[in-house]
Formats: sequence, C-alpha cells, structure tokens
Amino acid sequence: MEPTLQESTKLAEQASINERMQRNLLAIASDRDETAFADFYAYFAGRVKSFLMGKGMNEDTSEELVQEIMITVWRKAQSYDPGKAAASTWLFTIARNRRIDYLRGNSRIEVELDDYMLEEDDTVVSQEASLNLIQQSSILEKTLTKLPQDQQQVMHLSYYRGLSHGDIAQWLSIPIGTVKSRIRLAMQTMRSEFSEQESE
Amino acid sequence: MLTHHLTEATLQEYSVGALSKAMETLIACHLTVCPHCRHRAQLHDAVGGVMLDRIEPATVQTLPQNIIERASQQAELTKTKPLEDDLSSRNTNGIPRPLARLLPAPIDQLKWRTIAPGLKQFNLTNQPRKDGAFKLISAAPGLSMSEHTHKHRELTYIVCGSYSDKFGQFNAGDISDLDDDDLHEPVVDSEIPCISLIATDAPVKFSGMMGKVIQPFIGI
Repeated sequence: MEPTLQESTKLAEQASINERMQRNLLAIASDRDETAFADFYAYFAGRVKSFLMGKGMNEDTSEELVQEIMITVWRKAQSYDPGKAAASTWLFTIARNRRIDYLRGNSRIEVELDDYMLEEDDTVVSQEASLNLIQQSSILEKTLTKLPQDQQQVMHLSYYRGLSHGDIAQWLSIPIGTVKSRIRLAMQTMRSEFSEQESE
Repeated sequence: MLTHHLTEATLQEYSVGALSKAMETLIACHLTVCPHCRHRAQLHDAVGGVMLDRIEPATVQTLPQNIIERASQQAELTKTKPLEDDLSSRNTNGIPRPLARLLPAPIDQLKWRTIAPGLKQFNLTNQPRKDGAFKLISAAPGLSMSEHTHKHRELTYIVCGSYSDKFGQFNAGDISDLDDDDLHEPVVDSEIPCISLIATDAPVKFSGMMGKVIQPFIGI
C-alpha cells in the first residue's frame, strides 16, 4: 500500500531529523561540539525520560538516569559508528543498558567484541546492510504503523511498558504462544519490507 | 556450521532488556559464535530506536550545559573487567567469554556434582529453584534425558559434544530455544560427554516416571 501524501511528508521529516542527529553525534565525537549536543539533547532527552517513565520508573529517577545517559552520549560519542546503527538505535541501547544496570545492580550481558571466540561476520550477506541506515529507520517507521493492531499492541507493551512476553500474555489474557507469534509476525513483516525495498 | 538459532521472540526480549542475567549470558554465548543471529539482533535494536523516536517526549528539567559540566567534573569511569588477566592465562578453550567469566576454574577442574549415573552438574546460581535454573550439565555419551516440557522458556547452549532430539542434532555453539509445549527427549550422541549451559524461566516438567524421580536431584 502506498503511503498518503501526509504520511510521506512525515516520513521525509523524520528522515531529515535522523540525519541531523547522526551529524550531531559525529560533531560531538570529532569537535566536542556543544551546539550539536544541545540539539541532540533537545530532541532526545525528553523522549528517553518518557521511555523510562513508561516502564514504571518514577520521575526523579528517570530525570537522573536521563542525565547519566546523556553524559554517556557526550563522553562516548566516539564509539558511535554511523555504518552500524542509526543515532536513535545507538541511544536506545545505551538507555536500555543503563536501565538494566540501575534495576539489577549489574550490567547487561553482551557479546564481547574482543572475545577470541567471536565468529566474524564474513559469510552473512545481509540484505539490510546495503541499505543505508537512515533509509532503514524510515522503512521501519513506516512498517510499524502499518502492522495489524494486535501486533502493534504487543510491540507497544514490550517496548514502552517493558513487559516480558509472559506478563503481556497475562495482561491481555491470551496464551504466551500468541504473544510470541505476534512478535514473530511483526518482525517477519519488517524483514520482508527490507527485501522488497532492496529489490526495487 | 551452526544449525540451531535463537527464535525471533527471544531476540526481541533480549533487545528490550526483559530477560534474566542467566538468559542473557546464554544468548550472548550463542551470539558470540553466530554472526547470523548477531545480525538478526541488530534489527530488533533498530526497532527499539524507532520506538524511541516515536514516543511523546516528557519535560526535562536539566539543561544540556549542566550535563557537559557534570561530565567534565566526574572522573572518567573506566569499565573494569576484573577477570581479564585471569581469563587469558586460563584454559577457556571453546568457551565464549560471557560464560568463561562465571567459571571459577577451567571446565574440567570444576567441582561437578554427580546427580545420576553419567550425569553431572555445576550450578551457576544460588537462586531458589522456583525462579528457574542456571547451570552447566555434563552428560555421558549415550545418555538419554527423560522426556520433558517447560514452563515459558528453556535455553540450552552446547559447549562441547552433541545431542539429538526430535528437533535434530545440536553441536557446540548451537542453541536450543524451547517454549512451553515443546516436549523433547535429548540423547547424547557424541563420543565425548556433552556439556551444555542451561537456563530456564521456571522448572521443567518431566512427563516420564523416571523423570519425576530424577527432577528434584537435577533441579532443572
């Protein structure tokens, strides 16, 4: 289904914001650019706070964590790789990890990139990789809004409320298998959208 | 070549941060050796980024200049990895670091506890059994585990050796990502013992009589 004119305009606006945020991060990394940081902060700080509060964190704690997350952005902008993630993706992972750290008192367990066991990514030919990440975010954005209501609902409860699949099942009074299959279907749709865009 | 991977649902819960540390460890082990799943995981994080973009922002009290000031006042915190030196000198052959960090000794020198003939375990958590298991299991060649199902989720990461069940053969690096109703009866088919890392959300339910007897001892 083709997007309406209004939708297209909104998507184009979002794409230009994504690009600007990416440039901001690169400017912070290379020049300690305070204006770029202020712009990044103005766009994202309130969103990160809202994201944390939506998951049940009180306002004071959320405000404090936003500060810490943004300190990390200021300090670690050099580690941002525009070829690997959109600015929002990078920030999402920082915010997620800081929240886990706060709630649990220990860090999220992740792959260690200097692990000698790390199997390098040389055989996987990715369809997504050849699309630029700004485009990727726009496609995801568009696809998310077009998902069936029941799939959007579980995505919402998972990302915005921080509920586990088991909790979502209880909340909606549906079997956990149904929650998982809705998540699977939503992700399948998003993956196939990429393939389509690629072949066009 | 790995043949058994993480499900989309598990990758999604890992991405949003809704899983236990035990589950995370197991997932990180598989992701270390599986570029295919690592690549799939990136899309989940990208969705997280888009969700963050789409949220209605809250009002923030702090000014960006204050953040920069605070950052310059605080000493740079470096992430400590206390086991690092130890790990490089130790024989962690074949064990991804997320697991290696948790082991007090090389895998063949662990204080394994025998729970049945041919079956040993090394517990990685002190939490009560009702909250789920997190342990290494070493099963002798030819051993068959009683048929069982799980409440919610059981993840198994194969450290060495192999086993087969109705889902196929599982070799080192493979992950078995099972849900509520997946009944399976793994049989060790390697010539060496099959060592696997197991995490469950809740105790497994054995269906056979032998299983019922063995379950309190294994504690999975």
